[in-house]
Amino acid sequence: MEKKKNDKSKSIHDNLPLDLIQRILLRVPIRHLARLRCVSKLWCSLISDPDFAELHFHQSPTATNACFFMENPTMAYLVYLDDNDASQKEVCPPFKKKPPYDFAVLGSCRGFILLDQHPHFLVVWNPLTGFSKRISYSHIVPCRKYLDFRLTYSARLHGFGYDASQDDYLVVIAWRDWEIQYHLECLSLRTNSWINLDVAIPKPLGVFDSFSCGLFLKGAIHWLPFTLTAYRDAILIFDMKERTFSRISGPEQPVMSACSYRRLALLGGCLALYYRNYDSCNTHIWVMKEYKVHSSNSLQSFSAIVLIQ
Amino acid sequence: MGSPVKKIMLCSSEKEIFSVEEQVMVQHSVIINNMIEDGSYNHEESKIPLDCVDSKTLKKVIDYCTHHTHHHNDNQEDLEAWDAQFLNVDSNGLYDLLMAANYLEIRNLLDLIYGTIKNMIKGKKIDEIRRIFNIKDHGFTPEEEEQNRKEYPHFY
Repeated sequence: MEKKKNDKSKSIHDNLPLDLIQRILLRVPIRHLARLRCVSKLWCSLISDPDFAELHFHQSPTATNACFFMENPTMAYLVYLDDNDASQKEVCPPFKKKPPYDFAVLGSCRGFILLDQHPHFLVVWNPLTGFSKRISYSHIVPCRKYLDFRLTYSARLHGFGYDASQDDYLVVIAWRDWEIQYHLECLSLRTNSWINLDVAIPKPLGVFDSFSCGLFLKGAIHWLPFTLTAYRDAILIFDMKERTFSRISGPEQPVMSACSYRRLALLGGCLALYYRNYDSCNTHIWVMKEYKVHSSNSLQSFSAIVLIQ
Repeated sequence: MGSPVKKIMLCSSEKEIFSVEEQVMVQHSVIINNMIEDGSYNHEESKIPLDCVDSKTLKKVIDYCTHHTHHHNDNQEDLEAWDAQFLNVDSNGLYDLLMAANYLEIRNLLDLIYGTIKNMIKGKKIDEIRRIFNIKDHGFTPEEEEQNRKEYPHFY
C-alpha cells in the first residue's frame, strides 16, 4: 500500500478496490440506492448490476419496511417505517397507457407490488427500481367476453408469494367455473407460465374475503375465512415450496363472529390478526409469536394480545 | 505459575515488526486464526508478512483487537464510545483500516467501518457525498449529469 501525503487529492475510487466499494453499497438501505446511483458512473454501474439486487436482498442487515399508498393511478407513495429518518418517496405507477386506468392493488411480497389491471392483466411492480411486468390471466376467465371478471371479487382466493427453493415469485388464484368446479392456477414469474394445481384444492375450500390478497410470510400464503365461526383450523395456508394447502387455528377469544373488519397482517415478523369488536368497540390485535405451520401443537405458543383502543 | 503469554510477530509493509499476543489476533482475525491452526506459523522463526498494511494502520488494528479482547466485558456504551474515538480518523485512514480489516478478515472491525461509512452517506445530498469521498471525476457525461439533475433535483 503505497500511501503518500498527496493521497488527500485521491478519491474513494482510487483508494478502495471495487469489491470493497460494492460491499459498502450493499450495506446501504435500498431506499438510498436510487440517490447513490447519481454519485458517480462507477457507483451507478455497481448498483445497477443484476447480481447486486440479489446480493443486497440477502446481505442487507436490516430489511427496509415501507407502507405503500396509492392515491390515484398516477401517484403512489412509499412511507418508510425504519430507523429515525422516517421519510416518504413518491413513485410513479407502471401504467403506459393514458388515463383513465382501471386497476386494483392486490398485495405485495418482498418489495414487489401486485396489481390487477382491467381487463384481465396482472402487473408485478417494484416501485423502488421501477421494474414491472404484465401478464394476462384471461385464460381463467370463464367466458372471454366476461369483461367484468376481476380478481378482487370474481376469484375465490388470490395470493402473491415467494418460493425460496426455486427463487421464484408465484401468484396463486383459485376460482369457480360455470359448472361450479373449483380450479387453482399458479403463475411462475420466473418462467412466465401458468401451472394448474386443481388437485391441491382442499375440499371444501371455504369462503374467503375475496378483496384481500393472501398474506405472505414464512414461505406460505395465508388467508382468513369470510366468516370465522370457529377458531380451529381457521386460517388457510398455501405452502409455496410444497404447493399444498393446510390450516392453522386462529385466536380463541373473544368470539370472532362478533367482530368486523378483520385482516391478517405482519407485525414484527409475526403473523397477526387485527379486528374490531362490535360489542366492546375495541380494536384487538392477536399475534402468533411462534410460527409453526404444520404442527397443531403450536396452539400452546399462541398468545393473545388485546390493545385497548 | 501460568505459562508465558504466547506472542506472534506481524510485519508491516515497511518491514516493521509488531509483537502481539497470539490470543488477541487469533480471536479477531480469521486469517491469522487459520494460519496458527494449520501450523503454517512457526513461533520460533515465523513473521506474518502483511505487505499491504502499513505500520500506522497495523498499529491501529492491533489496538482495536487488543482493546476488544481485554475489554469485551465492558458495557456496550463504553465500547461504543471507544469505537467512535478509534474511528475518529480522516477518510484515507478509514480506507486503510477497511483494507486491513478486509485482508485480515476481522469481522467486527469490518462491521464497524461499514456502519460508519454508511452513516456518512445516509441522508446526504449527492454533492455532499462527492465531497466526503473526494469524487471529483464522477464519470458521467455533461448530458447525463444534466439529465440526472433535472430528473432528481431533490437528490442534489
